[in-house]
Amino acid sequence: MLYKVGEITMSKEHLGELEELVLLLIVMLKEDAYGLAIRTALKEKASRNITIGAVHGTVNRLEKKGFVESTMGGASDIRGGRRKRIFTITAVGKGALERSQDVKVSLWQQIPELSLDVSR
Amino acid sequence: MRPQKDKPPKAVEYVFGWVCKPEILEEILGDLEEYYSSLAEQPKWRKRLYYWFHALHFIRPFAVKRLEGTYRLNHYGMFKNYFKTSLRNMLKNPMSSFINVFGLAVAIAVCLVVYSFLDNDYSIDEFHENRHKIYLATFFVDREGVEEQYGTSPAPLAGALAEDFSQITKTCRVDDRPVVIKYQDKVFQERVRYVDPEFLEMLTFPLKWGHKNSLEDRSSIVLSEAMSEKYFGSRDPIGKDLKLNFGKGRMKTFKVSGVAEAFPVAHAIEFDFLINFENFRVSHPAYDLHDWRNTIRATLVQVEHASDMVAVNAGMEKYKRLQNEVEFDWTISQFEWVRLADLHFKSRFIKQDISHDSFYEGRVILPFIAIFMLVLACLNYINIAIVSATKRLKEIALRKVIGANRAKVAIQFLSENILVTSFAMIVGFLLAITMFLPWFVKTSSMDLELDISDLRLWLFLGSMIFATGIVSGLYPALYVSKFQVTAIFRGGVKFGRKNLLTKVFLGMQLILACTGVTGAIMFAQNSAYQETRSWGYEQDQVIYTGLHDPSAYHQLHRVMSQNPNVLSLAGSRDHLGATSSDVVLHLPKRDYEVQKIGVEANYFETLGIKLKKGRFFKANHQSDDTKLIINERLADNLAFEEPIGQVFRIDSGRYEIIGVVQDFHFSNFYYDVRPVVFKVAQPDEFRFLSMKVKEGSDLDIYRDLQKQWSLIFPEEPFMGGLQQDIWGMFYEDLDIQRNFMGNIAAVAVLLASLGLYGLITLNVSGRVKEFSIRKTLGAQRKNIAKNIIRQYAWLTGIALVTGAPVGYYLNQANLDLLFAYPKPDNYFGAIAAAMILLAILVMVVLMQVRKIARTNPIDGLRVE
Repeated sequence: MLYKVGEITMSKEHLGELEELVLLLIVMLKEDAYGLAIRTALKEKASRNITIGAVHGTVNRLEKKGFVESTMGGASDIRGGRRKRIFTITAVGKGALERSQDVKVSLWQQIPELSLDVSR
Repeated sequence: MRPQKDKPPKAVEYVFGWVCKPEILEEILGDLEEYYSSLAEQPKWRKRLYYWFHALHFIRPFAVKRLEGTYRLNHYGMFKNYFKTSLRNMLKNPMSSFINVFGLAVAIAVCLVVYSFLDNDYSIDEFHENRHKIYLATFFVDREGVEEQYGTSPAPLAGALAEDFSQITKTCRVDDRPVVIKYQDKVFQERVRYVDPEFLEMLTFPLKWGHKNSLEDRSSIVLSEAMSEKYFGSRDPIGKDLKLNFGKGRMKTFKVSGVAEAFPVAHAIEFDFLINFENFRVSHPAYDLHDWRNTIRATLVQVEHASDMVAVNAGMEKYKRLQNEVEFDWTISQFEWVRLADLHFKSRFIKQDISHDSFYEGRVILPFIAIFMLVLACLNYINIAIVSATKRLKEIALRKVIGANRAKVAIQFLSENILVTSFAMIVGFLLAITMFLPWFVKTSSMDLELDISDLRLWLFLGSMIFATGIVSGLYPALYVSKFQVTAIFRGGVKFGRKNLLTKVFLGMQLILACTGVTGAIMFAQNSAYQETRSWGYEQDQVIYTGLHDPSAYHQLHRVMSQNPNVLSLAGSRDHLGATSSDVVLHLPKRDYEVQKIGVEANYFETLGIKLKKGRFFKANHQSDDTKLIINERLADNLAFEEPIGQVFRIDSGRYEIIGVVQDFHFSNFYYDVRPVVFKVAQPDEFRFLSMKVKEGSDLDIYRDLQKQWSLIFPEEPFMGGLQQDIWGMFYEDLDIQRNFMGNIAAVAVLLASLGLYGLITLNVSGRVKEFSIRKTLGAQRKNIAKNIIRQYAWLTGIALVTGAPVGYYLNQANLDLLFAYPKPDNYFGAIAAAMILLAILVMVVLMQVRKIARTNPIDGLRVE
């Protein structure tokens, strides 16, 4: 009998919109890039209100794709003595960000200015 | 309070510790807690709400432990496979899956209806918060050597108790009396309940309008919702005036001070109107409430702890003595306190108590029916499961070859079973709420429902899935898992056809179905019998009316006797089917409780009561006032050789028997004929007027009476009716029973024939090759039919021969329980039931034979 074997496909990872935002914020926040801080930054800088769980899910995905690495950071009283996980971008992640920007820039450049003006 | 002290709920931590991946647990909880403290300014409830909101959003694949990961659920993958196989199997054999699921679903639906009935029954009066602290006084009286328990009590008891026992925190007297209530143009005869003001504090009936303590005021009246609706519609009636006429010219105006909410479905104690007990002095000034001879409807007390009742119980001796010193007919042998929480279930054995128990029969019979249905469906399932396993032998063998042991195979079949049962549960639940329960509510007029927010219901459903799943699946699972791999592959295992147990199960199924059908036919026949049973007097062409005042008799007599269609008119104190009083006959050696009916001389003629011996009363014959006429039952019970001329003492008077009348049914046929004495009633005692009218004129006279009544007594409600309607709901009840048992039997037959059909079809399809060969060799249709029938002939014979008598005796016992006079020698039902089942069996076999006869034998031989 033939069984469908779950295969691991690690083709060229693409970067989702939320992922891209989070990745950018991780770069920006530097040593302070952990779950809740990313969420706060998303809310303040990008006006995106999402749950903490969603942020964790996204960074988890980014880590799986190899775009970020993580280390456990310092504990504090306000967290009930628990440590936080600090994320830093990897070279692959940086490459993905640049590629994403390149694609967009090149797309923007190919659009004649007038055709964007949809209101008319 | 410092903000650091305000910790997030601990529950999240525990739950996450259990379901969350351990490597990311720390950071998640850390983030959540930091978030929580960042909300410092918000109110606590909002902080918690947000916290929970975010916590719940962590339930995502990345954060939750993999099921395969834990040791306990190591078999997850395997169960997934079982599940898939089960589903495929069900889809492959839609017919037998349908029979299984549908059969179980019907049984489950019946169980759910019974559950909702019992749930209601067991929560009766549970809404009274103090039900464990309130006790009703009851007492025992020795009657013919039998201790009878009564729920009434001596009138002064409550006062004496309150004085003597500091443990008793509250007492309440209760008494019910008829009264005429008038509001604007609405005049009705009602029953009003006199209670002490504590009543509404002890029995916590929720109020819709008004205050609980308003009964302190002696001219306040509290209404039930139904009564408020009747007099005032849906408006708030607080402050409105109701005029109560207690009779004999005593009237008082009351102000509505409260309206109770509609009583919960599960209630046994109820009321229409409540007024302060002190009003008794207004309505019955001559009734001495300090006289131990006088009784009231009930005395309730409330204590703080159950242990307080020990002292009260010990002190009851004193009251017993007080009562027995003055009252000789009701010599109390013992008092007993019955807790309100237990009252409903004991109510059947307590005479004249304020509670009532109309569910006794249901409580006895319905669980039987539910179990009966469930067993029937489970037997079906077991049979079909065993037989259909023949088709899955190779699968079982293969599983064993690749390493499954017997336990694994058994577990596979059991889990498959739980799956089928769960399907059945869903279908059954839908069946119950859409069809069965509405039908039950309609026939029984009990307002039942399944409350899906009730945890108990879900527990019940869960345990039922488990129980039926295991019961119906255990045997097939163990049986099927037993086979040896080699035997299966060699083709040496043949079963299903000659399995003894399959036959036993089929036999049991037939017996059960036979019982059900027998019951239905017997109930139907019994209903028909009860309808034609004689009442013992001529109830047709008799019209009666209750009188608000004895003087009304003369006024009505004058106008009605002018009507040429009225053949005879009689006044009476009591009336057949309506009221009577209980008195005690004193014989030289023993006391005897009988029903006393006070009548005018020509009452016998009017009601068509037949004389057996002696004579009737003579009209206007003073000396007949000390004479009695008794019924046959009493004559038999007293066992005198010649009852006429015997003399008894009743109260303080001596009475002589002058006649014996034929037995008649005072109440409907649920009740046995009781010993009765007739006594002459004086015109100033008359409370009823009865008329015998010419055939065919009864409706005209009834309307005429009604018209005359409203002319003469415009202020009084009319209380008349046709004598043949006096048993009210009884004949409707018979119809309901017939209907109910008919439906139960239909379901039983449906289940049994589904089972038979499934089993025989599977059996025949397992023998397709054999029949095809027989056909090629020249077998005719009848040969094949004979062949199949032979296989079931003995079984069916034995099953029906045992089933019919079993059905007969069970149902006869059931009828004996319900009716005082069930239809005797009701054998027809059992025989008919056996015939019906036989016919179904033959029909199923013929259908299969026809199918075989029509198929080409080549197709049959080509199978596999």
